[in-house]
Amino acid sequence: MTAEKGIQVKGIGKSFGATRALDGVSFDFKPGEIFAMVGANGAGKSTLIKVICGYYPDYEGEIFIDGEKVHFSSPHDATNKGIATVHQIINQGVVQSMTVGENLALAELLAGEGGSILYRPKLIDARAREIAEKMGLGDIDLKREVSDLSQSERQMIAIARALATNPKLLILDEPTSSISERETEFLFETLFRLREMGVAILYVSHRLHEIERIADRVGVIRDGTFGGVLEHPFKVKQIVQAMVGDIDQNVDRQIPDIPVTAIPKMEVRNLVIEPESVPLNLIIHAGEIVGITGLIGAGKSELASVLFGLTKPVSGEIFIDGKPIINRDVKEAIGNGIFMVPEDRTNNAVIPDFSIRKNITLPFMGAFSNAFGLLKHGLESREATRMVEAMGVKCESEKSEIGELSGGNQQKVVVARWLMKEFNLLILDEPFQGVDIRSRHDINSYIHANRGDRAILMLAADLDEVLEVADRVVVMNHGMIVGEQKVGDIDRPTLLHWTSQSLNELQLQA
Amino acid sequence: MERITSFSIKYGFLIVMVLSFIGFGIAEPAFWSWPNLFSILLGVTIYGILALGVTFTLVTDGLDLSVGSTAAMSVMVASYCMVVLELSGISALVICLVIGALIGLMNGLLIVKVKIPDLLATLGTMFLIQGLQLIPSGGRSIGTGMMLPDGEEAMGEFTEGFLYLGQGRAFDLIPIPVIFMLILAVIVYVILEHTRWGRVFYAIGGNAEAARLVGADVDRYRIMAYVLSGSIASFGGVLLAARVGRGDVSSGSGLLLDAVGAALIGFAVLGARKPNAFGTIVGAIFVGMLLNGLTMLNLPYFWQDFIKGGVLVAALAFTFSLAKQR
Repeated sequence: MTAEKGIQVKGIGKSFGATRALDGVSFDFKPGEIFAMVGANGAGKSTLIKVICGYYPDYEGEIFIDGEKVHFSSPHDATNKGIATVHQIINQGVVQSMTVGENLALAELLAGEGGSILYRPKLIDARAREIAEKMGLGDIDLKREVSDLSQSERQMIAIARALATNPKLLILDEPTSSISERETEFLFETLFRLREMGVAILYVSHRLHEIERIADRVGVIRDGTFGGVLEHPFKVKQIVQAMVGDIDQNVDRQIPDIPVTAIPKMEVRNLVIEPESVPLNLIIHAGEIVGITGLIGAGKSELASVLFGLTKPVSGEIFIDGKPIINRDVKEAIGNGIFMVPEDRTNNAVIPDFSIRKNITLPFMGAFSNAFGLLKHGLESREATRMVEAMGVKCESEKSEIGELSGGNQQKVVVARWLMKEFNLLILDEPFQGVDIRSRHDINSYIHANRGDRAILMLAADLDEVLEVADRVVVMNHGMIVGEQKVGDIDRPTLLHWTSQSLNELQLQA
Repeated sequence: MERITSFSIKYGFLIVMVLSFIGFGIAEPAFWSWPNLFSILLGVTIYGILALGVTFTLVTDGLDLSVGSTAAMSVMVASYCMVVLELSGISALVICLVIGALIGLMNGLLIVKVKIPDLLATLGTMFLIQGLQLIPSGGRSIGTGMMLPDGEEAMGEFTEGFLYLGQGRAFDLIPIPVIFMLILAVIVYVILEHTRWGRVFYAIGGNAEAARLVGADVDRYRIMAYVLSGSIASFGGVLLAARVGRGDVSSGSGLLLDAVGAALIGFAVLGARKPNAFGTIVGAIFVGMLLNGLTMLNLPYFWQDFIKGGVLVAALAFTFSLAKQR
């Protein structure tokens, strides 16, 4: 074996029972490069990452670090040998009840720095400060408890801590799935700096535009096998093709003609969400799909909460078909024909030990039971099967547990539960979070084909996701609606400018 | 291998149960006699019924620790109503059920509105009513002829009808409480598995936030689970009072652990891995059968708790370890 620098994986295979999750996968990560790994959900990406980071100690094949064969017995072992991982679910990477400082210096805290069994605040503090400065987290308050922080701040802490071990390979699993565009920029700057320093970075993401921008090479995994490596420069289209073969990328868009005099399907008039925030006005016409984009904290989710009856607005009105409605709680909102697919599917939407069928029919149990509340199992099964087929959920049957599905297919189920009944407004909050490209396409085309004369509102921090779906893009920033464009005349720089303006700039304009 | 695993997850518990049923019968033929079989069932009725109530709270991802003392409270209240206040059996029954529901309501409100964690809230309630039930009778057991604080004797009696609830037998064979337990088990089973409300109970236990976001009134369902648990527990207490025929201060002891144990053993039945009415009742009967059989084989009484604990730990270990491999 030549003493090649970097990390090689050769002929990795892994089975779970009868399922062959990975078969003969070989990659090499060179020092100082950003290597992106892509693959549809369920293709075997996570399994490969778990093999590389020591989570599955029993696998077939070999791993070499700088030409030397290694075998990891645990994630801890892998970290010690130079492989640091930041997992997708941020909250598994930080201890919420501890302060920022304690989290940054967690390794030292657990190891008992200096051989002491006592908790030494000064030592921990000094170490935390050192790590924070190195990572450019200088302005974060080390004394704050992590549970008070935003998702992206938590993620920066997890990354900072991973880097504190001076790894040869840093694995980032979907690092941008819950942070805003500005925070993403900051993350990229950090990654570029690390690349300069000679760290190999394995970057796993569904966001192909990001990969196009930052990656030096792209490795593709398809159905558990090695699908080839693309060298820089590459285009999103090529990556997609390598990932899923040829699929019809173009959703049949039929943007409805809206007469000027039409009564809007949904209208929000002078809606004040928080005291002293600017009143919001928004119209969605029948058959129209409006996408709202904006950074995290721009006020998208807050608007959705009000529309769905989760929070009370300070003042203002909501109209459906020109008639004012009141949503005091979710039940009333649903009664008014306003449905919502919430963000963060795992925490907010999926009932983990329910079958696909039970997950689909949950909002409308009344329709599947008689006057005594007794369930009509046959009807329930038929309707669930119909939805599963219509959305193209990949599963054995509607009786399968939802936990057996990939993220994208779970999302289809969660969307499907709202599409069985007539609605006036469907809100999709970050519907493509952790959803593979094929599932995205399936969901998108189903919604486009079945919009009828209903209003659809999609919220996403990722502009590309919004552009995939919406007929009209509205930008929110600091709780205000700052501009909108129709999908026919999208001007990306302007949209990004609106998104990223600071509060001062916004106030100057106003 | 995988098929063996999934088969044993599903039927392992029932197979063990059938085998021990056969084994006891062979070792001691009297075990199989009808009177003995019904005495097994009669032995498990009270905590079996309590366990059905506990199942509701377990389904919503909570746990009601106050069921034992609620039942004991009900014993004392029923006795006090009939013996001291000389009320009718029906009134005593209704008052008990209302008090049970109120205790459940209090538990529910403490958990949902005051936001005390379920274990702590119901632990508090448990102590509270354990103490409260002693106050009216001055800490003594209640029976006809007992001395009242004003020096008079209590002349009321348990009514015939009331006693029939606990001591009667249908066809001179089947104890009435057993019939109540089985009917209640069927009702709870139907509610949990075959009604929309049961589905929502389970959904809340699976992911309360997701349930809220599909329009379920999570708070109301949670409170309802405790109200049901309290009412069912107090009904169990009524049957116990009717069986004993007096208000014994120590009648509730041991009920709680037996009830919670039965509901947890129920996780293993048919590989449910979740609280369920069928499993709860089967779990209760299994423990009763085991103790009965072992006693017939001259197992000393002081082994009983050890056996129960062993069954519980084994059942849980079996369910969760095998399930993980799946």
